[in-house]
Amino acid sequence: MHQLTIETIDQIIEWIRGSELDRLDLKDVRFIDPYALLLLHLLILERNEKGRSIDVEWPQSRRVYRWIMAMGMKDLPNFARLQSSRNSESSPLSVKDLQSTLQPITRIENESGIGRVVDGFHHRLADRYPLTETSRRALVAVMIELFQNIPHHSNATGAVVDPHGIAAMQDYEDSIFLAIADKGIGLSASLGLKDGYQGLSDTGALDVILHQGASRFDDPGRGGELRRIADLVRSWGGVFVLRTGRAMYYFDSRGGDVYDVPAFPGVQLGLRLPRSVLT
Amino acid sequence: MQIERFRVAQFGPRLGTRMEGEGARQQLFALLQSLPDDGQVRVSLEGIDVLSTSFADELIGRTLNPLTTGEFGNRTLILETPMLDLADGVDAKLAQRQLAMLCLVDDAWHLIGTHTPALVETLGLIIDKGHTTTRELTEELGLQINACVNRVARLAKLHLIRREQIGMSGPQAIYSLHSILRD
Repeated sequence: MHQLTIETIDQIIEWIRGSELDRLDLKDVRFIDPYALLLLHLLILERNEKGRSIDVEWPQSRRVYRWIMAMGMKDLPNFARLQSSRNSESSPLSVKDLQSTLQPITRIENESGIGRVVDGFHHRLADRYPLTETSRRALVAVMIELFQNIPHHSNATGAVVDPHGIAAMQDYEDSIFLAIADKGIGLSASLGLKDGYQGLSDTGALDVILHQGASRFDDPGRGGELRRIADLVRSWGGVFVLRTGRAMYYFDSRGGDVYDVPAFPGVQLGLRLPRSVLT
Repeated sequence: MQIERFRVAQFGPRLGTRMEGEGARQQLFALLQSLPDDGQVRVSLEGIDVLSTSFADELIGRTLNPLTTGEFGNRTLILETPMLDLADGVDAKLAQRQLAMLCLVDDAWHLIGTHTPALVETLGLIIDKGHTTTRELTEELGLQINACVNRVARLAKLHLIRREQIGMSGPQAIYSLHSILRD
């Protein structure tokens, strides 16, 4: 596998979760997008929590390996034990390595810390790009909504151990990619707390959230954010992916659909936004 | 009419979460309650960089809701913003709640939230005239009296105008209608 992206990360999930493999070979990978990186991060965490860590052979490409480390994978618990003996690259990260990232993986735990996290993302973005005022404000508002969904929904049943989410951002020649992920209870379990939405499949949950603006709250002012964000990304000609459980909604400028994917807990979201409309 | 200004920027330039909005709403409630029954609060977005829909809903949507059910007497709430797109989140959430609010950009008024062209037309005439009656409006808009009464009742329910009963004509109440943009 040469690319670890929205399109290919589900193969890794299937291998690791489906067949309980203990070794992951990424040595030929030459590109990883932030969405795939966050899922890989959560996948490794999940296996750590089960006491069965994965032996990862990281990409041989020095540039990709150092980007992954600068994005924060080196901060995973028990990281030294995850390193395959084949990975000899261990020199400290340089300023250039750190500058190759737009926003490394950031932990999101509770609502009170979200303002600070959003400010950090905002400053990183504003330092690197002269975004238009309208798009900069819209993007910051999107981050606020998506980040606060984690404390509002990912552990709504109280059943999750160490509830938290992660977010990261990377820039490319033509786009800015924002990814947010958690391995909480997922959309169908969160919605299922409200009368009328119990027993929804993952596909059904995506449908009512993205088409009806459904929410688990009775207050009529709640809900609708994911639908509004999807509409905004569509109007910008971007890529939108929302994954929960066994279903994934994906669209790009050519159209979109809901797809079956291998099971993974929580909610994961990726937005790839064209720089031409942001700057 | 006593008018007080509530500056949202006192809570920061980039807002924010529902938790932040809830904290701000407690202060807005206190300010509304401190005013006489016909008082008005103008919520100012001056100095705000980003206002999320969640914060907007907690602060404005969840204040307007009890306001329209009479929990704050005849008090009114108006939004003031240097740019209309700063109020996008308020507009979206009020529409979701089936509520509406007057929004001032410089001296120009806009109706944000849920509304119809008929409601905007009627409100515009009341604002232009400052004060009027349902009968006058009926004639100027060329409507049946019942249609006009319904429009006016909706505007009064949303606290977008002040309506004062000044008499009866048979079974029908006669109202004096006042713009809330004038003292």
